[in-house]
Amino acid sequence: MAAAAGPSVRCWLWQRRPLLCGPGPRPVPGGGAPLRPCSTRGAQRGIHKPVIDRIIRVDHAGEFGANRIYAGQMAVLGRSGVGPVIQQMWNQEKEHLKKFNELMVAYRVRPTVLLPFWNVAGFVLGAGSALLGKKGAMACTVAVEESISEHYNNQIRTLIEEDPEKYKELLQVIKQFRDEEQEHHDIGLEHDAEATPAYSVLKTAIQLGCKAAIFLSERI
Amino acid sequence: PSHSYTGQGGQQSEDYESEEQLQHRILTAALEFVPEHGWTAEAIAEGAKTLGLSVAAAGMFHSDGSELILHFVSECNSKLSELLQKEQKLVQLGEAEKKPIDEFLRDAVEARLRMLIPYIEKWPQALSILLLPRNIPSSLNLLTSMIDDIWHYAGDQSTDFSWYTRRAVLTGIYNTTELVMMQDSSPGFEDTWRFLENRVADAMAMSSTASQVQSTGEAVVQGLMGAAVTVSKAETSRAVR
Repeated sequence: MAAAAGPSVRCWLWQRRPLLCGPGPRPVPGGGAPLRPCSTRGAQRGIHKPVIDRIIRVDHAGEFGANRIYAGQMAVLGRSGVGPVIQQMWNQEKEHLKKFNELMVAYRVRPTVLLPFWNVAGFVLGAGSALLGKKGAMACTVAVEESISEHYNNQIRTLIEEDPEKYKELLQVIKQFRDEEQEHHDIGLEHDAEATPAYSVLKTAIQLGCKAAIFLSERI
Repeated sequence: PSHSYTGQGGQQSEDYESEEQLQHRILTAALEFVPEHGWTAEAIAEGAKTLGLSVAAAGMFHSDGSELILHFVSECNSKLSELLQKEQKLVQLGEAEKKPIDEFLRDAVEARLRMLIPYIEKWPQALSILLLPRNIPSSLNLLTSMIDDIWHYAGDQSTDFSWYTRRAVLTGIYNTTELVMMQDSSPGFEDTWRFLENRVADAMAMSSTASQVQSTGEAVVQGLMGAAVTVSKAETSRAVR
């Protein structure tokens, strides 16, 4: 970060940039206040805030969306034979969402602006897929859970590349959730998801939607 | 990574100082001269002089005093955070009562605005400079992190859209109160603090109205669903007869 002399200098003190927040000993003559504008947020943890921010924001949005999808499916198929299965998967998603709510407060992460939109879109996706029948709902589950498992795997890779020790707790949480989402995926397959008419089209469309949702929720 | 002025042999001596730290020191020293010279290069030059540097040091900065103002805002925000953190510790240790939300917000905004008092004559000038397109990303960043800090220490734990509405409302309160303060000539700015109290009360009322509207809406929906079920059952039983 070169600060060129002259009027075009950009003082980094308050520019938005990926800062590695953390206590850094810096001898300053006469003693000075810490120069980091982010010192009030996450500095005590020495974490790479922008990366963690994104991870928690998008995971929170994902679990929120998954909750709404299962709610939509239950609204249509709740009283059918497959209702208890969906209810059980929904309960696990509720636990996941609770955990991410806690992490969001602990790491002071901003939730995505699109939450109201995911609220509606998730419910519509769940209800819509359930209207295609039991197999349709299972196909939706398979598609979504596959996307989410892949997404969690990417995050695990990122965190391990960063610093597995520092992010041990977060890694543990994500690994556990990834395993549970994988279970949901397998349950979906067990319940004849692949027998849905136009299964591959449906699956591709849903997974594209998931990719877009992940991309947007990370950023806004 | 910051560039530092290293001593001989490229080794960092004990009293090395990076360029940012030097700029920080100059700007801090310059604040003393703002009431007299405004947020200008002159104030920065005077500040540099008190540190034993040449007035040419002011050439490191923009001529409109942007960095000086942003530095001041950043310092005020840090001071506010420290203050709120100390208060939080006292509450955690049981040495102080936890304030109700409206009182907390009022006190936090008042504490932050009081930091402007020594510079209040020249603050309108600073506000207009902060609104320059060049400065907007930085000033917006500083504003949003300050508001987020206040809500964090107020105990906000929302993880839904209300995270945004709360911060938007508080930003509105802060900005309007700041503008009122610019034109306030009452003793001790009592008109400003009264304005602040009213705006915070409005915000609290608004949020309770919002939750009332929501529960009324839910009750209405339930009522309609019940009516629909009753009607459809009546139709079915009439059709059977």
